[in-house]
Amino acid sequence: MTDRPGFGRFGAGGRRVTRAVGRAGLRLGPWPLLVALVGTASAHSGSLAGATASATVPTWLTVLTGGIVVGATFLFTTLLTDHDAMRDVNWWRLTVPVPAKPRRALVWVGRLVSVGILVLVLVTGLTGTTTPTQNFALLAIWAGWWAGYTMTTYLAGNTWPALNPFRAVATLLERAIAAVSDPSTGAADADGTRGGTDPNAGGSDRRTDGGMATVSGRALTTRTIPERWGVWPAVVGLVAMVYVEVVSPIGSDPRALGLTVAVYGVVTVAGALVYGESWFARVDPVSRVFATYGRVAPVQRDADGFSVRLPGTAATESVLPDRPGETEFVVALLWVTTYDGLVSTPLWARLLTPIAEAGVPAHLVYVSVLLAGFGVFLGVYRLASRKIRERADTYVAVDEIERWFAPALVPIAAGYHVAHFLGYFLTLAPALAAVAAAPFAPPNTVVLVLPDWFGSVKLACVLLGHVLAVWVAHSLAFELLPGVLAPIRSQVPSVVVMVFYTMVSLWVITQPYVAPPFV
Amino acid sequence: MSTHTKLPDPATDVPPDEEPIATCPHCERPFRSVHARDLHVGELHEDAATDTERERHERAIETERDDLWLFHAKAVVALGITYSSTVILYMVVLGTF
Repeated sequence: MTDRPGFGRFGAGGRRVTRAVGRAGLRLGPWPLLVALVGTASAHSGSLAGATASATVPTWLTVLTGGIVVGATFLFTTLLTDHDAMRDVNWWRLTVPVPAKPRRALVWVGRLVSVGILVLVLVTGLTGTTTPTQNFALLAIWAGWWAGYTMTTYLAGNTWPALNPFRAVATLLERAIAAVSDPSTGAADADGTRGGTDPNAGGSDRRTDGGMATVSGRALTTRTIPERWGVWPAVVGLVAMVYVEVVSPIGSDPRALGLTVAVYGVVTVAGALVYGESWFARVDPVSRVFATYGRVAPVQRDADGFSVRLPGTAATESVLPDRPGETEFVVALLWVTTYDGLVSTPLWARLLTPIAEAGVPAHLVYVSVLLAGFGVFLGVYRLASRKIRERADTYVAVDEIERWFAPALVPIAAGYHVAHFLGYFLTLAPALAAVAAAPFAPPNTVVLVLPDWFGSVKLACVLLGHVLAVWVAHSLAFELLPGVLAPIRSQVPSVVVMVFYTMVSLWVITQPYVAPPFV
Repeated sequence: MSTHTKLPDPATDVPPDEEPIATCPHCERPFRSVHARDLHVGELHEDAATDTERERHERAIETERDDLWLFHAKAVVALGITYSSTVILYMVVLGTF
């Protein structure tokens, strides 16, 4: 169980499947070519060390350069002080009106397809082949969904509210229950209110009240999640999800994965039926992750269609809603992404070995570091917000500052995600396509071998995320504080934090992959 | 290209032992300096501002401009130093210095 394809989106998963492929090849025997291909692939996708060594730039210099680039970006941004010009860039949009009817039709086609895929995943996960590179469930969930689909949520737009198969199942069940309990009103109401939960609605919590809640109010007892909990349930869910990913075999064992998806599905559908729309907005960590990533996407949902924006600029127009846990969720997303990379570095293995050998349960160490790291990230973010308040010499409340600038963290998380998963996705895309064509009789698959220069692409993605974050924070500061100097000066604390964070994340992605030990 | 979401007015928090130095007459927002208040009035209440307020805004912008020039001079020097030290660092490390 050391070879796990990994929880695609959060970590060094790419290497895990590639390694699993290698193992499968060895075990199957007659595929020496595959083994050879895979050997090269894991060397490339697994570590940047090879790429950087060939340019003879040592890792420490690569890491330092990343920090310098972010710092220099800040200095350059201070030269852009024309607030109106900044708004022209940030507010630019191309509106694409889409009438409600075709939109609703499109959503239902999408849902039909996604429910079909879900059924395939469950069937192939629970009964299909256990060869990782031939199992549809493993490839579809990790390579297709957690790596590939997640990338679309920040590179294109958050379509999860429209495509979420669990939401579709919950909606249908609800209609059925409504029709049974009150045949005269149920169906008609459902039709009238359903349009509101269309694409991207989850991208903004202000718009997510359409649809389900109304119907559940009629059909079922709508219980409400206490307001004071805010979105903390989703924060807890996200952290728990990453813990399961790191310590369980769902990355390489189709049965475990199928079972996990089934359990998650039952919980999600039940939650949606009992709590309505607020389940997706405040509890379901998956929906929250996609909605958060969707904040920086170029395609946004508008009142009467879609609008195309410049990447990242949508985040300069939305601060987080005033409720507990909003800031914490964004910080948690950044932390769990880092954590997943951190536990697969050689340093982690070296540090953990003596502790585990001394008799301390490894799981306890994993949990402690997961929680402690989250605490540190949150603490640093809060401290930076307090410093921003001091430097800007303002009365704006500290928690308001925390919420105001949190969207600037999203491009960082997205850049880090793409650095981890683009290579992984490309490597396994041919296998996914081949298996998807015949999920019940999967052919033997090959993986794509990425060229040497791909390592630099990963570095560039991390840097691009940070550069975009500097711009978003700069723009938000101009919206928050009067004048020019106060907004610029206020950014110094967050830039210092960003420089260090860039260096840490660059260090993590330049490390060779080591499967998290002792779990 | 005109529709955009207006950001909410930020919540403020004045420490109990402190009296705000200036307050916006239009929206009651407290400020730690008259300068910041004057800028705020000119930026957010441009249409409702009185002539005196406009004049104060103009003067506040002038002050900003002078301070900004100094700030930018420092930023450009810092950029120059960063750039050249990075180049030298690479030359040393890659052994061409």
